Amino acid sequence: MNKYRPHILVLPEDDADRELANGFVLELNSRNIQVLPPVGGWKKVLDDFDKKCVSGMRNYPLRRIVLLMDFDDRINRLSEIESQIPDDLKERVYVLGVLSEPEKLRSDINKSFEEIGEALANDCFNNTNKLWGHDLLKHNKANLERICLLKDEWFGETDE
Amino acid sequence: MIQRLYVHNFRCLENFELSLKGMSSSLLIGKNGAGKSTVGYALEVLKRVARGTNRVGQLVQSKDFARGRSDVPIRFELEVLLDGRLYKYVIAFELPENFKELRVFEEQFLVDGKQIYSRKEAQVILYTTNSRNREAQFLLDWHLVALPMIQSQSETDPLSLFRSWLARMMILAPIPKSMTGDSKGETLEPMPDGSNFGEWFSGLLSRYPAAYTQVDKYLRGIMPDIQDFVNEPIGKDSKSMVVRFEKNNANLSVDFEDLSDGEKCFFLCAIVLAANKYYGPLFCFWDEPDNYLSLSEVGHFVMSLRRSFKDAGQFLATSHNEEAIRKFSNENTLVLYRKSHLEPTLVRLLSELTIEGDLINALILGDIEP
Repeated sequence: MNKYRPHILVLPEDDADRELANGFVLELNSRNIQVLPPVGGWKKVLDDFDKKCVSGMRNYPLRRIVLLMDFDDRINRLSEIESQIPDDLKERVYVLGVLSEPEKLRSDINKSFEEIGEALANDCFNNTNKLWGHDLLKHNKANLERICLLKDEWFGETDE
Repeated sequence: MIQRLYVHNFRCLENFELSLKGMSSSLLIGKNGAGKSTVGYALEVLKRVARGTNRVGQLVQSKDFARGRSDVPIRFELEVLLDGRLYKYVIAFELPENFKELRVFEEQFLVDGKQIYSRKEAQVILYTTNSRNREAQFLLDWHLVALPMIQSQSETDPLSLFRSWLARMMILAPIPKSMTGDSKGETLEPMPDGSNFGEWFSGLLSRYPAAYTQVDKYLRGIMPDIQDFVNEPIGKDSKSMVVRFEKNNANLSVDFEDLSDGEKCFFLCAIVLAANKYYGPLFCFWDEPDNYLSLSEVGHFVMSLRRSFKDAGQFLATSHNEEAIRKFSNENTLVLYRKSHLEPTLVRLLSELTIEGDLINALILGDIEP
């Protein structure tokens, strides 16, 4: 990953979110995305973002970050989180997650987390809304639309 | 691809069954001595048979019996799905009293449940599906494995297809210092330590010249200043690989041998990806692919391999590296465990185990036990 070119970091809340992100990345064929170690709890996502990511984002203006967390059935958590993101970085931060928790989505659609991640990536690249339109994911619409504008960055440098 | 590997009485593997059905890529984790690399050695025995090593003494030795238990045969069973057909190969070796060298105890090859040949000690039976031909029976030196010796009818003969697939398996535990980039010939059959890297690279590009573009593109993603790589003649039949770099109109040529250990692994990975694409689908076992790599590269390296084998072929890795481990999931991570050196290896899918908290913490604490 070249930090002087557009790149994306994913900060997952837990192992389920990490596996979901892995599935997404498996579909990308890109070195421009890096999934960071899970932090263990949505509040820790914010803590880690604040302590470990903010200065890096200011140093590297082409860095974007996805905060991947569970909403634990609290839809107002999204605005709560977004309100804590510094104004100068808001444009480069994306908050995504399952409305309840990934385990609920997994049992609903009977797919592994990796398979869910793959399906979500395919939705993005095919401009479809098959899985993103699921009741547990549709609240991501605004951030998803912003993130889908980054397709060129997802596909940046390829392996093959 | 591999559906099932069964190994019995071979080193630490006793009644050991590895199910890889439906897994395009998977990871073996576990403490040192749990048996991860031994899975690679077991596959290596089968691969060497397909590559033509048929002398039993060159494949297994008496020290390979689990805990020296030579009164029980060493058994390998491999089930592979290729183009919708299920191939099964079974071989067992024994050491009768007063024998110095192990002999074949049993050997079988089946396709979709139908026997192609079977063998008990020296007696081999070749079955036929053609009603006009009868079964053929013959005796074969019981110190020789039959698989590489039976004449196939054509390149599309199931025996030929299976042997070719098995021979091209990539069982890798590279030692970069052994990778010189020198070559005296060409091959599509890499050695585990990467010592014939130059021959493999030459063989790939000679048979599939378009593979150069893919190798170049992969390497350029990691080393943007790479200009090209060439195989320079250094004698009548020998070549040596040179890598050329370019930046700001300045050039530098580096003998492949002088690249760093990690850089050599990038080249190896590039060839694995190209091999799977151009003459695959292949099976690749890579013992600790994260070795020699910087932390910033481990994840990309592992994901490149997983991605390459997702739609065709199969990738099996081992690792102790947390960044590599995090690139897999509970459904494709297998935990190997052994209570002591006197007990056999156990294997469980990580998703079948209860892990309290973070997986890496549990591994650091040694809390993961099947």
